[in-house]
Amino acid sequence: MKRLIGLLTILITVLGVACYVAQNLTPPENLHPLGEYYLENSYFGEHSAKSPEAVTSILWDYRGVDTLFETAVFFLAIIGSLTLFRLNKEQAEEAKQGEPKPQLPEPVVVVTKLTVAMILAVSASIALHGQLTPGGGFQGGSALAVAPLLVIAAYTKYALEKNGLDKTRAIIIRSIGLLGIALTALTPLLVSGYIMQNQPIFPAKALGVPLGGSLVLYNLFEYLAVGAGFTAVFLLLSIPEEKFKKFLGVRR
Amino acid sequence: MNTLFTLGAILVIIGGICDLFGAIGLLKFPNFYIRLHAATIGTIGGAAVPLFGVALLALSTNIPNKYAIAGASLITGIITLLAAPAGATALAYAAHKTNAVEWNPKTDHLKEARK
Repeated sequence: MKRLIGLLTILITVLGVACYVAQNLTPPENLHPLGEYYLENSYFGEHSAKSPEAVTSILWDYRGVDTLFETAVFFLAIIGSLTLFRLNKEQAEEAKQGEPKPQLPEPVVVVTKLTVAMILAVSASIALHGQLTPGGGFQGGSALAVAPLLVIAAYTKYALEKNGLDKTRAIIIRSIGLLGIALTALTPLLVSGYIMQNQPIFPAKALGVPLGGSLVLYNLFEYLAVGAGFTAVFLLLSIPEEKFKKFLGVRR
Repeated sequence: MNTLFTLGAILVIIGGICDLFGAIGLLKFPNFYIRLHAATIGTIGGAAVPLFGVALLALSTNIPNKYAIAGASLITGIITLLAAPAGATALAYAAHKTNAVEWNPKTDHLKEARK
């Protein structure tokens, strides 16, 4: 009975607060001048990023250098974890030895195959539509990283490595992504003298699809770099504990 | 109202009932494996079936982008239909393999099959 009274009190309080907030929560009538500027200029206007998605154009164009440093922080974190798990050649070879056999019952394995294919498609669409719809490189890359994680869970990390995606390749793909971001940021320097400039150096449209100039390039490279960076970390984290204790020389 | 609308509404109502039963089962069932059954009722009966219902409802009306809504609901329903049993199987398998939960079976078909 006491619990019921407590429950009822909480329910009535939450409902009351919700009703109160809903009545007093009116949308603002006037836009902030800065917000108005971005809304007017992200697709039309003179200082335009030529992208209908205002958030992406702010992130990678108006506030691009800021995002560049944010990305650098994330990649330093990945480098840190890779350094923490550093192995020499024989140890890395030994970490790859194992049975690439599914660990889970048949239905789970089959569904995982289907899901992995769907995740690859969806993550690519999130990243490559970043200049048109909500989404972008980081979000798409994070979604992409779920695919190898699922493979590691349903099969083993050895299955992933036997099929060609080992730590070295993941780091190479990640480096290609980072190099792409750096080149895209530095190319305008050669043409006009500004770093990370978007229009009019990069094309705004291709085959009738708005590309947002450099936004699509940044999104693509960020997608590769984030996805592959997470994959490398997941591959290291999935090395069995016994093997790692052996590498580190931990006494039992 | 036409047949599609009625069918869709019935599916959505079935989904609500399944969700209610799943929630009651999750609270009242005695052990992990049977509670897992209640959880699956919540995901299949309570999420996949009403999504198919929503697809039919969207097709029966004249709202803009109705085919997009119907297609998205259908695909989400199919993905749920695939993923929920796989997740439940994986959970039950892991619990059985690690002996993590109490288990007092009346009949054990797995043991009989392994003999």
